[in-house]
Amino acid sequence: MIPFLAAIDPAFAKLAPQAAHWKSILPEIAVAGLSLLCLLQAMFLPKALRSLIPLTARTGLVLVAVMALTAGPWTLPADVSSFGGLLRQNLPTDGVRMVFLLSALLTSFLADKFLRDRDAAVADYHHVLLVVTAAFMLLAQSNHFVTFFLALETAAVGLYVLVGYLRRSEASLEAGVKYLVAGGLSSALLLMGIVLVYGSLGAVAGVTDSLDFTQIGKALATQTAAHAVSPLTLAGIALILGGVAFKLGAFPFHAWIPDVYQGAPTPTTAFLGTASKAAGAFTLLILATGPFAPLAVKLAPLLAVAAVLTLLAGNLGALATTDVKRTLALSGVSHAGFILAAVTAALVLPGATAFGYDVEQVVVIYLLAYVIGTFLTAQTLVSLPAVEDHRRPQLALRGLLRRSPVLASALGFGIGSLAGIPPSVGFIAKLLVLALLVKAKLWWVLGAGLVGVAISIHYYFSILREAVVRPTEDNEEIAPLDLPFGTRFLIGALTAASILGGLFVLFVG
Amino acid sequence: MENTSLAHHLILAGLLFVLGLTGVLMRRNLLVVYMCLELMLAAATLALVAFSRFNRTMDGAVLVFFVITVAAAEVAVGLALIVALFRKRGTVQSDALTSLRD
Repeated sequence: MIPFLAAIDPAFAKLAPQAAHWKSILPEIAVAGLSLLCLLQAMFLPKALRSLIPLTARTGLVLVAVMALTAGPWTLPADVSSFGGLLRQNLPTDGVRMVFLLSALLTSFLADKFLRDRDAAVADYHHVLLVVTAAFMLLAQSNHFVTFFLALETAAVGLYVLVGYLRRSEASLEAGVKYLVAGGLSSALLLMGIVLVYGSLGAVAGVTDSLDFTQIGKALATQTAAHAVSPLTLAGIALILGGVAFKLGAFPFHAWIPDVYQGAPTPTTAFLGTASKAAGAFTLLILATGPFAPLAVKLAPLLAVAAVLTLLAGNLGALATTDVKRTLALSGVSHAGFILAAVTAALVLPGATAFGYDVEQVVVIYLLAYVIGTFLTAQTLVSLPAVEDHRRPQLALRGLLRRSPVLASALGFGIGSLAGIPPSVGFIAKLLVLALLVKAKLWWVLGAGLVGVAISIHYYFSILREAVVRPTEDNEEIAPLDLPFGTRFLIGALTAASILGGLFVLFVG
Repeated sequence: MENTSLAHHLILAGLLFVLGLTGVLMRRNLLVVYMCLELMLAAATLALVAFSRFNRTMDGAVLVFFVITVAAAEVAVGLALIVALFRKRGTVQSDALTSLRD
């Protein structure tokens, strides 16, 4: 910290970041540095060596993940706050950090081939991807609305770029513009909500910083006890939760999802579906169980209704579509419904556990399972040669089993994990959420979840049927697909993770 | 400042916000929609400054700078996307965005 600031006011000395604070966000700094490295490489490497760029990014991400795993707050006390309360780290934020890193790593694998097939710049994509990843990692740790808003917006602006990345593709641009308007609207609502909370709690005695999550929580607890929460605060909280629900894609803010997911480049679709959804889910969880926890009695019914409607809207919507990417997008909405249900359980029954896991851990496990299933499925879509932006990708799936048994099995395990077929990790994750719902006695939500699972099995397996049963079209070549070693390795690793992950969670964790 | 109260500022900010929201939902030209989005952000900024002034806390005034920076970044990316779409399609009417459907 700059010494003269401490001379001005002793308060600065107390707030000054210490070496330990910087160390705690070393993974984020490393990811941001890695993103700059991508650009530098693009500037200075000769054309022949450009293929090193994604390789550096991936190696870097693996190293960062190892660093975060070995040096993170796993070893520290439950909650570590740094930068004068701007950030807060604990076991769940460390877990969700892994979700983001894993998602970025897998997206890089997909993007490498996808972008080279389409003659688009690989380095720039990786640069933006890594910036967004670092922003998400900070977002999950934020404990103050300034860091929260900034991290969220950094990620959002980067995602606009990633969605509209293929400048020559009408679909990609259209998805980009639609995402821009939807995202901009949600940001504006969110900001207005933050402003209302800041303003209405700023005048309360004893609150020195009405943007700080901890202080907001305390002020709301006092006000709730006295039945004196101002309507302005409630409106602000509603707007904030609405803005976050937009990012998560929860009912009634899920209308943008199918179009954007369909038009975006497939690697971006996978990243949006996993990292962006994880960010929305996790922020909703930390807001609902953190600063807004005193209002749990008011929020729980609201979230329960949203969870039921999200589950139904996602599953029924997916049932009605035939395009693979749209089906997966809407099924993602139903997964958001499951996460909402878990958050609701945390509000109804604080400290609820399922098989020894608390709600935050269940959400992280669910997100990890979802990452594995999504990327196995997306890998199949990307590996199929030249699935044009406008052609229906499900036609390209036909005859897949004969063309490439490896890809077909990847699709099978991916779909199985998404649908929650035992013994996949997706099944265990769903089981944990359902167990939480039973504990919290949320029978309506539980019913909607079970109905959702039943419906989802139908549409998930109709995708699989295209690949396994349906014959190819007459003019379609059924030449066997040759997969590079890296892709085979990745599919093998993800498949192993989808099977062993669930058993690990159940018996070891 | 002597004759205005917090309520005056908030009513103005609320009006601007609703105006922007109406524009986003009703208008068909993407550029106008985008301007309306910026209007919503400006409304939030105005409320932020007013709260900061009347609550006598500086945090709001500081957040305003961040919001302006974020809005600038958003506009840069947003206009680039809209221009690229215009080059491809020759129109920025949202009714014409129909290539994505089932």
